[in-house]
Amino acid sequence: MKPEVDQILGLSAGQLTGTIAPLLPTVFAQGSASLLGFMMMFAAQEYDRAADIRVAENGDLRALFREAAPLVGDHDLKIALSRAAETRDDSLKVSMLDTANVELRRVLIRLQVHAEDNTMRALERRIWDVLRASAERRLLRLA
Amino acid sequence: MDELTTRLEAYLSKKLGAPSLRVSDLARIPGGASRETYRFRARYAGAKGEIERALILRRDPPASLIETERTTEFRAYQAFHRLGLPVPEPIALELGPEALERPFFVMEEITGCEVASILNPDPYGPHREKVGKQFWSVLGRIAAADVEAIGLADLEGTRDPREAGRHEVARWEKVIAEDEREPQPIARAAIRWLKRNPPPPAQKISVVHGDYRTGNFLFDAGGTIRAILDWEMAHLGDPLEDLAWALDPLWAHGDPSHPAGLIARTDAIRLWEASSGLKADPAALAWWEIFASLKGLAIWISAACEYTEGRNTDAVNAFSGWYCLAFHNKVLAERLGT
Repeated sequence: MKPEVDQILGLSAGQLTGTIAPLLPTVFAQGSASLLGFMMMFAAQEYDRAADIRVAENGDLRALFREAAPLVGDHDLKIALSRAAETRDDSLKVSMLDTANVELRRVLIRLQVHAEDNTMRALERRIWDVLRASAERRLLRLA
Repeated sequence: MDELTTRLEAYLSKKLGAPSLRVSDLARIPGGASRETYRFRARYAGAKGEIERALILRRDPPASLIETERTTEFRAYQAFHRLGLPVPEPIALELGPEALERPFFVMEEITGCEVASILNPDPYGPHREKVGKQFWSVLGRIAAADVEAIGLADLEGTRDPREAGRHEVARWEKVIAEDEREPQPIARAAIRWLKRNPPPPAQKISVVHGDYRTGNFLFDAGGTIRAILDWEMAHLGDPLEDLAWALDPLWAHGDPSHPAGLIARTDAIRLWEASSGLKADPAALAWWEIFASLKGLAIWISAACEYTEGRNTDAVNAFSGWYCLAFHNKVLAERLGT
């Protein structure tokens, strides 16, 4: 589909902040238009990478759960980890990936609490590796 | 805007005892999502002739970024204006809906100044060092103020130096619990870490500005700080809370070694210590810096909630929920997970 969505959003953001905003009659309107331009720029970034970020993060979490399930003593958590590890992303729609991600993050929080409470340092480090990678992926760039 | 002008005119005429008062040039200006901010001119007859004043109206929006207490903000302006800090003079506070539908207050406008945006890589130009020296020294003066002497000993917060950290973590944990619309593993991990590793007791209980940072002060063309703004999150607590918030990388314009985009971090802390008469113990400051990023996350989660649920669709809420939230998640993941 040409032009692509991110190109339309990016160019529109540039026109809004660079051309239209300075012509607006009040400081408030100029500032609001510029901020909307920034959000369009961010939306352009997200359009291209949204599914990729979520697929990668969901994959990381499932891999983590597969590793962790044999290590935890809590029966309910072990079952939850095993079940979550077996789930799959059958659709690449962002809304579907997000639904899966929410469930996986809930299990992640339980796992991290368990690791902290039971002084499982290696597992804690492994969890933080996944969280750091997730945070890095989701960072938005200003330029 | 015409109706707001008329109603404001009626209110101020009565409030200032000036029947001839006329409001003009009322215009909304950027001022964050927690209040609607307008500038205007008020002209009225005084004892020595006509008076013209540049004023600011800060009115509650239908929903705000953080549920803040406008009485607190107004009283903080009063107290620190009296103390001689660069703070606008507060004029009137109204809590009822009769005058302008929602609570509001009016204060002096500080004209001819700029406010730095976190999106601007070099907002201070040649005045970076001059602004920096003032920025950290003024923060030290806020920390040094005696809460009893300035009449703010009853602000929200804690008077117990041993409880300052715990009190603030509980406050922001509650915000996250109420407003998170998706699980936040990094915020949750940070809360647990802060609880498991409490900070040393505060050296003293001070007024904590609560949002002292880039974007919340005005400086003039000569590089003089003329106004510290946005006192709406002021409370009693450990003065290191303000120092850590101001040092946070989000406000560093891309260079955390020069927090707030100003002078070097070591110089900033030294100036704060000299001005406050307090010590910035490295371990205690490190705890408060973790807390600062967690508090940031709570605010951004709250902003995202307001936007998502349609209560306040100001783009700044969407920006906070995307850019700022992702930024602080990364900061905390690096600080706690490395």
